[in-house]
Amino acid sequence: MKVIEINKLNKIYNESEVKVHAVNNVTFDIEEGEFTAIVGPSGSGKTTLLNMIGGLDIPTSGEVMVGGSLMSSLKGADLTDFRLHNIGFVFQAYNLIPVLSAKENTEFVMRLQGKSKKVCDARTKELLKAVGLGERMNARPAKLSGGQQQRVAVARALASKPKFVLADEPTANLDSKSTETLLDIMEKLNREENITFIFSTHDARVVKKARRVITLEDGKILSDVRKNGGE
Amino acid sequence: MITSIAWKNVWRNKSRSLVVIIAVTLGTVAGVFVAGMLNGWVAQRINDVIFTELGHVKIQNPDYLVNEQASHYIANISELEQYLKHSKDVVAYAKRSKIMAMASTARGNSGIMLKGIDIENEKNVSGVYKQLLPGSGSYFEENSRLPLVLISSKTAEQLRLKNYRISNHTTDSLSMLNVPQETISKLTPIKDERFITRKKFESAIKGLWSDSEIRSYGPHLMNTAAYFQPNAKITFSFTKANGQIGYLTCRVSGVFKTSNNLFDQTSAFVNHTDLINAAGLQPDQFHEISVILNPSVKDIDPFIKSSSNQFKNLSFLSWKVLAPDAGLMADFIQVYYYLIMGIIFFALAFGIINTMLMAILERVKELGMLMAIGMKRKQVFSMIMLETIFLTLCGSMVGMVLGGLLIKITEHTGLNFSSVAEGFESVGWAATVYPAIDLSFFFGIIILVVIVAVLSSIIPARKALKLKPIEALRTE
Repeated sequence: MKVIEINKLNKIYNESEVKVHAVNNVTFDIEEGEFTAIVGPSGSGKTTLLNMIGGLDIPTSGEVMVGGSLMSSLKGADLTDFRLHNIGFVFQAYNLIPVLSAKENTEFVMRLQGKSKKVCDARTKELLKAVGLGERMNARPAKLSGGQQQRVAVARALASKPKFVLADEPTANLDSKSTETLLDIMEKLNREENITFIFSTHDARVVKKARRVITLEDGKILSDVRKNGGE
Repeated sequence: MITSIAWKNVWRNKSRSLVVIIAVTLGTVAGVFVAGMLNGWVAQRINDVIFTELGHVKIQNPDYLVNEQASHYIANISELEQYLKHSKDVVAYAKRSKIMAMASTARGNSGIMLKGIDIENEKNVSGVYKQLLPGSGSYFEENSRLPLVLISSKTAEQLRLKNYRISNHTTDSLSMLNVPQETISKLTPIKDERFITRKKFESAIKGLWSDSEIRSYGPHLMNTAAYFQPNAKITFSFTKANGQIGYLTCRVSGVFKTSNNLFDQTSAFVNHTDLINAAGLQPDQFHEISVILNPSVKDIDPFIKSSSNQFKNLSFLSWKVLAPDAGLMADFIQVYYYLIMGIIFFALAFGIINTMLMAILERVKELGMLMAIGMKRKQVFSMIMLETIFLTLCGSMVGMVLGGLLIKITEHTGLNFSSVAEGFESVGWAATVYPAIDLSFFFGIIILVVIVAVLSSIIPARKALKLKPIEALRTE
């Protein structure tokens, strides 16, 4: 089942009289349960593409369909609501709320969804256990290592039971051991719970774990490789 | 969740939040205490106006209001008395005959309103009998061949009946106040010398004491050195009811002092019988009736309206009309409180806005992330508004407690403004104020704080709402 359908997507920035074609006529689909890495050098359009899939940026032309909904038809509060219920985000700089504990950070999205405290508690415990932080639930971000913070961010992204998780360079700030642990956790969640992950990265270790690798260059798809078979 | 995160955000930068909280605390303490002082003053003034000077309602012949002639007395007083006796709204009333007179002694004279009263019944309406100066005599209890008169300290001064003398009692009193012996001994050259005016006494003291000694011990010295000539005689001259000149010579029974200099300067009390005999009035000829109403009567106007309808030939005036300054304060005192608090919070709002703007600018990336993961703009707005409310409410709560405590401490001891007593008393305000505040005022402050916090949060919240998640997330 297709989770994301991208059709002839373009993003052109008109900054300082120079047109920058950040995403150039990109078309591809993401199936449910895929573990996809979007790779490419800096400035290749990875983050812009991810932002448009996540409804954070508006395409110049083309379409992004998520679960059958056309993203460009959603505006304002409807778009925010759509993100809340359908998309999980993991950011490069973790972006946890410093005044909340790991548990509170994880359940934050569920509370925004209006879920009961009982439901939130159960899901938060389950997720933090899954990312190996069952013992650090009450620790604030400042008391956690970078790798642990990013694991909390993954747990937060999954808490709302989204259709897919968008991770923008999730391992960029992590050492190799933390990267390894995080990737193992995400791969496990992908395999066992069929959660769809899409990364933007230029980290070889992430590329190695990914089962599908889309390579971008100058905003265009250079290659789209599924490791278990055809291109 | 929004409430919890807003509360935690307040304490994110403790020192910055504490600066605002302390500023709000100090502002609230100042506002509450000033309001408490104003309230104490107004309550005292109203109490004096009603229970010493006027009563709740004053009944007079309308012609007497235009021309205070002895012939303009209240007609058919017995009918009016029956009405007052049977009215459930009336607690007490006192009849008075009044004659404008010239009071004279061997050394001075002064124009005065001589009030003929029923000595015992007057106590039910006016508290003058409670305000006699210690050592000045009694409330008509002296045995005298001459009629007795109660005069004010101010009148005694004008008639040169208030003298000053450094006696043993004065020096003992100064010693008890821990005034240095050296300072006290400087007064020896004028010991037991009588000064017939305050001015002369002050000038003698200036020659003996330094400025700092006068500043520190002067007010107490003036009080302890003052004394009233015992059994002094005053002759009152006035126009009798028949138009001829009449005289009444009285002996001073006691000297009173209220907080209103004007009332003191113009009032002297004699027995009604003595006055009507001297002025040629009939026993049932009275010029005013002061009425004290039941405490349950919150609005005087209906009583005045119904009484006026029944006695169309008489003037019924409430204390608010007769003492418009106190009436105005009574009606608008709440407005003044909130005006004071409003001005304080208006000034504080700029500090609050600045702090919240700094807090928003520091958290641009985080706010972008919150909006990206699904926090709606109205939730972001609520969070910032709640942060502002919590920040302001924290300071104001502490301020209200401290302000309340300060009022509690001073409500019994009072605050003495004796150095500027003359100025206060000349407009009828007591020189010693007993701060007091109503609990409802605190509820009013809480509402005011919430309003100020909501208004102060608008600019920072708008700033946050203008953020686009994608741009905010790119911020370093």
